[in-house]
Amino acid sequence: MDTSEFGIVYAVHIITAQFGSVVSKVCECLLRKGSLSSRDISRFSESEINHNKVKDILYLLIQHNCVQAFSVEPRAGSESKAIVQYFVLFNNIIHRVRYNKFSRVVNEELGSQCGAVLDGLLTNGRLTLGQLIERDRDSENTIGSEVIRDSLRKLVAARFVERIPSPEPVIGKKEQEPGQKKKGTRAAQIIKEPETLEERIIEAATPVDAIRFPLIFEQGSSSSLADNDGNISEGKRKQHDVESSDSRNEVIWRPNFEEFIRHLRHKACVEIVKERRDEGCAIVLRAMLEVGRSQEKKVKTAKSVPMSVGSIYEEVIKTEAGRTMLQERVEACLDQLSATSSYLPAFVIEMDDSYIVDFTSIISVAQKDEMEAVVLRRYGKEAFRMFRYLSQEGHFVETDKIADAALTEKKDTPQILLKMWKDGYLHMQKLAVTGVYVPFLLWKVNKLIVSRQMLDEMYHACLNLSLRLTHEIDSEKELTLLPLNKLEGALKERLNKIKAKRLLLSSTSFKLDDAIMLFHDF
Amino acid sequence: MSKRKRAESKSSIGGLKEDENKLLDLIRSKEGMGATTFEMKLETKIVPALITRSIASLKKNHLIKEVPNINNKGIKHFLAVEFAPCKELTGGDWYNDGTLNIEKIEDLKGICVAILDSAKDRVVTFEILSTYFEKTKDKLTREQVKQILKNLVLDNVIMEVTSNGLGEFSSTRIGQVCYKLTGRKSDNGKARAGAFASVPCGACPHIALCSPDGVISPTTCDYFQKWLDF
Ligand code: SF4
Repeated sequence: MDTSEFGIVYAVHIITAQFGSVVSKVCECLLRKGSLSSRDISRFSESEINHNKVKDILYLLIQHNCVQAFSVEPRAGSESKAIVQYFVLFNNIIHRVRYNKFSRVVNEELGSQCGAVLDGLLTNGRLTLGQLIERDRDSENTIGSEVIRDSLRKLVAARFVERIPSPEPVIGKKEQEPGQKKKGTRAAQIIKEPETLEERIIEAATPVDAIRFPLIFEQGSSSSLADNDGNISEGKRKQHDVESSDSRNEVIWRPNFEEFIRHLRHKACVEIVKERRDEGCAIVLRAMLEVGRSQEKKVKTAKSVPMSVGSIYEEVIKTEAGRTMLQERVEACLDQLSATSSYLPAFVIEMDDSYIVDFTSIISVAQKDEMEAVVLRRYGKEAFRMFRYLSQEGHFVETDKIADAALTEKKDTPQILLKMWKDGYLHMQKLAVTGVYVPFLLWKVNKLIVSRQMLDEMYHACLNLSLRLTHEIDSEKELTLLPLNKLEGALKERLNKIKAKRLLLSSTSFKLDDAIMLFHDF
Repeated sequence: MSKRKRAESKSSIGGLKEDENKLLDLIRSKEGMGATTFEMKLETKIVPALITRSIASLKKNHLIKEVPNINNKGIKHFLAVEFAPCKELTGGDWYNDGTLNIEKIEDLKGICVAILDSAKDRVVTFEILSTYFEKTKDKLTREQVKQILKNLVLDNVIMEVTSNGLGEFSSTRIGQVCYKLTGRKSDNGKARAGAFASVPCGACPHIALCSPDGVISPTTCDYFQKWLDF
């Protein structure tokens, strides 16, 4: 797991705010040490939380999809029993601040009844259909068991809700022991591992699609699905695991964050294209995403499957905005989308009469804009030019050349570069040349390192916004407790102020979280 | 000590002229870049004291001149009088007495933007721009015009596009290098207001020192105070 320091602090902050400090201690222990057994957790967590308490906390965190249990296959011939390990799901913790975004997606796509069912799952983590119905019965705005059942079916069909993963999958042994956190320099960690422990655990826990998103489901009749399962051996094992989790043999459901992130990713791509190209291109891209969607295997898909103009056009005219578009116009938009300039890379790749969406390219444009905006604000216009020049060059360039290219005062150039380097926004190398008195300094933008640095700072900023919000609310606590109609004059003004502050702080963190997704989840 | 002195004076009797010639040859061979005393020591193996003396003598006879290095004010370069200092030493066309003429650059950039703006939806070719500047009092070379345009591209105010002969390029030849505004000139060429850059912490120089319970913290920081001051 490549979590940044402030990513961890922010995640712990979220858990503390929602579940209290004891739960967050267990969480922090797992975030910092990697996967652990419950005994290890009780040993490691600073203020000796006893073993039973640790277990309760783990169940709570599992219920809220923040922790996944697993065990490692014991060595062949080994007597020892596999010990259950717990792995914290960092992403799912951060998703907790996005629940209103997820909820909005469902409300827009499937209506408010589905929205209500999803909200039930978001607040409770995992529920069975029976529990959802029960919950509805106790609520003020009952929508009825039939509607609940129907909404749940729609949510599963749209993949916004999934059957819970296997509670305790067994993963095969690999060189790296779980529980042993990788050490190494930052740079070494950046080099992507082919498969992280997290990916292996999630893969092992996730049932095959037919079981994960069953087409037909009734209370207690999930066994009818076994026939749908193409992947027999693997699937059956997983299905068994899934079912054994539920004593009443009722399927347990939870929100499928993966689908929400995919949805938001697509939406962000359309927005990026709309802003950089135009409305027409955005309509065409949206249609392309729709065509290729079912073939996307993972959220961070780099490129879509190839698609023909015909299939794209067919999809375009299905939408209200695209109904009036002629095929000619769609083709012109595709041309525009596949054009490259110094300003914009190609968003779509043309290949043998078919077209491929280049997700990486679309997202990297938005990432680049985010980075440059920070450089401009923090270090000024000259630095902005230097940074853009170096990103364009993509290799080490000496100070003097940078000053020439960016037309900046040569005396000031080294200082500006050094400032960015100190904050981790540039890479520097000293080059000693024989015969030359002072060593040459070479500079480079390493996008991966800048992204990491920025991501860490963005988590930090989110944490700061949240802390400041709490601080603002606390400082005016008495005021907010007074009955509204009693407030007049100066008091009323103070209340309005605190409201405005609250609004600004929360809307800013909402947008900042979009940027975090851009760098971390998309 | 006395031994060394003797050795020096010995060489100076018959060698001063010789040393000067050696140095002058070296300096001449370096043309517009000239030679530093460090290079002279390294390449001629003449002892430092004699180098200093020879330089003084060459200077007195108007055979060499001293030029500061724009990149490193402390380092002096010695050039033969017949050579003009090269770009590496003076900083190039945009420098006046060792200072970058920012005002002139910004003026020229402003003119480019105005030309591109008046072209409305159409692109402007490099040729049009460079011909324009050839005729003005500045008499810019093609290379200089290119530098100004590149700078505007780095400012993200304009973009460089290659003509495909269609649409907005209809009055240009295919393959011609053209320019147009990125559409952000009104904002002084600022990049899109990024989500992170719009938060005080995104622009904060102290973010690395800021922590929840630290001396610099979000509950006490001035940047937030100002930002939230309605
Ligand atoms: S909270 Fe204040 S001091 Fe801390 S990073 Fe943000 S702006 Fe800077």
